[in-house]
Amino acid sequence: MDVKVDKTLDAKGLSCPMPLLKTKKAINEIQSGQVLEILGTDPGSKNDLPGWCERSGHTFLGAEEGDGFFKFYIKKG
Amino acid sequence: MSQNIMGEKIKGLYKSVCKDNYSAYTSGILVAILSILMLAWDRPWGATGAVRNWAEWLMYGIGAWGDDAPASFLKHTGSVIGLGFIGGAFVSACLGGDFAFRIPPKLEMVKGVIAGLFMGTGAAFAGGCNVGGFYNAIGNLSAHGFAMMLGLVFGAILGLKYTYWEMEKISWGQGGGKTIELPSALQAVLGLAALALGIWGAYAYAGAESEKIAKLSGTLMIAAALGYVFQRGRWCMIQGFREPHMTGECSLAKSVALSVAILAIGIAVIKYQGLREVEHYVRGVFGWGGVFGGVVFGFGAILAGGCGTGTLWRVGEGQIKLWIVVPFFGLSNAIVDNFVKNKEWEAAFGESAFLGKSVYMPETFLGYGGTIALILFAMAVWYVVVDWNEDTNKFTLEM
Repeated sequence: MDVKVDKTLDAKGLSCPMPLLKTKKAINEIQSGQVLEILGTDPGSKNDLPGWCERSGHTFLGAEEGDGFFKFYIKKG
Repeated sequence: MSQNIMGEKIKGLYKSVCKDNYSAYTSGILVAILSILMLAWDRPWGATGAVRNWAEWLMYGIGAWGDDAPASFLKHTGSVIGLGFIGGAFVSACLGGDFAFRIPPKLEMVKGVIAGLFMGTGAAFAGGCNVGGFYNAIGNLSAHGFAMMLGLVFGAILGLKYTYWEMEKISWGQGGGKTIELPSALQAVLGLAALALGIWGAYAYAGAESEKIAKLSGTLMIAAALGYVFQRGRWCMIQGFREPHMTGECSLAKSVALSVAILAIGIAVIKYQGLREVEHYVRGVFGWGGVFGGVVFGFGAILAGGCGTGTLWRVGEGQIKLWIVVPFFGLSNAIVDNFVKNKEWEAAFGESAFLGKSVYMPETFLGYGGTIALILFAMAVWYVVVDWNEDTNKFTLEM
């Protein structure tokens, strides 16, 4: 994905609920408008992260698959 | 031209049934229907019986189980339910392209062991895991389901508090998670092979001379359908208890409430008509046993990242952390269950009265009508409270 990433969170190998919790924590460490990249392997994140963004005012920019893990991009609201 | 459109429609159906995730509500309604069918077929389903039977074999294997072998895992109803459930989840994961061997970081493996010990212990006190102690307990009109439900709320909060603490304080064993993926064509072949094996198994059971064994055919198929739906919907009851306190999100909690309501009505129809024994899943833990068991089980389930059922379907999609949970869940359950059902305790407290009372709600002043009204009311209250919390975040724990 063609975005400037400000922070990357490695959540590979973690299962529910750790990827979402670590995302919640990591997003507190960046500024509004900055982009968080999350690397993960839990298929649950494909639904959890967009749903959480919608409720908490962040923008889910999209997901990419390949290299054995997912990449998710979230812009802090 | 019209053939092309037909082809598109068939592909569309395949995608909806085998690839897309079911919504929480679709999953909840399907699980309720399948759970009613399971009772109509033979008996209510649960997850603890399977895990425990497998652990008994493990103990027998290392010589810690005495001389008599445990019940065969191919003939023990609980075990067949577990095999069907994991098999169904495996088929679903493979067809959806979600299967992979997911090896967690070290800390998560250690948490898997501890989580299993808590879950097995909690389930022994509560009369079962989230299914036998809560979902199918309330569904089967037994009061002990409400005791565990109360415990699960607090267990989930404690588990979440621990998790927040762990994220701040523990830095050991974080990295090193690995995923071994299988090509999607291979996954599809494995999924179809597992499906064929299941169908063959069901026919093999159906042809048995013993009526009890022949019955396992339907048990296996309905359990597989349950596992399939749970994985496809990623339907996780403990998430229903956790999410309102973690992110405020409540769709799973609401879908569990809906599912319990449908289940209770279906089972009331069957039991009222005397088609099945009313005693099914009425357990003597309506009291401190159910509440305490719920707290302990709920705490463990948060550490595991899955309740009894959530653990089994994640086993079916290749999550190694949950593979670790299962034997420790089973072992602690077998040991603690033997302890709390000790004959001397029973002699001292009267049968079952040690952990709590055995209450089939329709046999109290409530009757069938009052029982259904109470369950619908309780589920409606839960539904409204989590929905209100989603907007106000009153019960959401800050990090």
